[in-house]
Amino acid sequence: MTPTEPATRPGAAEAPVLRPPLPVKMVIAGGFGVGKTTAVGSISEIEPLTTEAAITEVAAGVDDLSHTPRKTTTTVAMDFGCITIDPTLKLYLFGTPGQERFGFMWDDIVEGAVGGLVIVDTRRLDDCYAAVDYFEHRQIPFAVAVNAFDGRVEHTVEEVRWALDVSERVPVVVFDARERGSVRDALLVVLEQALARTEG
Amino acid sequence: MADGRTPSGAGEDGSTPPGPDPAGPAPAVRPFLVTAGRVAPSASGRTMPVETQVVATAEGLSGLDLLSFEQHDIVAACRRPQSIAEIAARLKLHLNVVRVLSEDLRVAGQLTVHVPDSGVTHDASVLRRVIDGLRAIPDSRGVLRDAD
Repeated sequence: MTPTEPATRPGAAEAPVLRPPLPVKMVIAGGFGVGKTTAVGSISEIEPLTTEAAITEVAAGVDDLSHTPRKTTTTVAMDFGCITIDPTLKLYLFGTPGQERFGFMWDDIVEGAVGGLVIVDTRRLDDCYAAVDYFEHRQIPFAVAVNAFDGRVEHTVEEVRWALDVSERVPVVVFDARERGSVRDALLVVLEQALARTEG
Repeated sequence: MADGRTPSGAGEDGSTPPGPDPAGPAPAVRPFLVTAGRVAPSASGRTMPVETQVVATAEGLSGLDLLSFEQHDIVAACRRPQSIAEIAARLKLHLNVVRVLSEDLRVAGQLTVHVPDSGVTHDASVLRRVIDGLRAIPDSRGVLRDAD
């Protein structure tokens, strides 16, 4: 952590100076309606928050809702949550829109992330290409997580890997975005990737 | 409070209904009016990552009454450390507005801004602590992950 200003100042001694935790960031990416917000909400200690970006109108009327009948609103900015690891360390999870038309937002959100999880709906694989390309291009450790909607996946992990054409080094797992333990394990797969790279 | 600010009474602390905050009505004041048209932090040269931590200083809190509108709300929200993304979401401000105002408030001594060093956050020891911390989280049925 690099404070841009000393954390303690003379004269402020009587007030307890709160040292913020070190924030570690992971990114949850994927197409519209694949379960990013659900995944964040399953494991976050706070209800997922949403920040507004000034691109709301860009999304209007564009999203294809035909395969996501229960989703009626588009999250145009990012949903995020957090997990306090200990008082000095906090994990932030940022869910980013995966569609290409939001591409310009990505660097702003992803900068400094330790890894990414790309959530895939096997009925709409092409929605996640932009996210996969992005992480590969930026050399950010990531894993692909196939969301088992209603406990089912329509393609095997091997078929998904083939269709996405991801390298053998990229883990592809099946998970359930509604289950905390399942989301936790998917995040751990990403973190193990990130750790392996530092020790590479 | 100022005209055009989205009321933010509900949903501050755990009282939010399940699901993400609704976006709410668009503010009547253009976001960058409050920053006098500036769109990026001026002095630091580097854009603050969304997880950048911001904390109110003792001076900032004691001088809270002298601040107004967004500046007041940001300092008040930072009694405990907050990320700029959290500030933006909770106060329903544009992320870049929070960046600009946080930088102003830092220069004025009312906030400290802690930009994470990615060399530190990517360090193996930090990653291991995150991994160990996540492993300790039980699943939805309270079952801990198998040790391995």
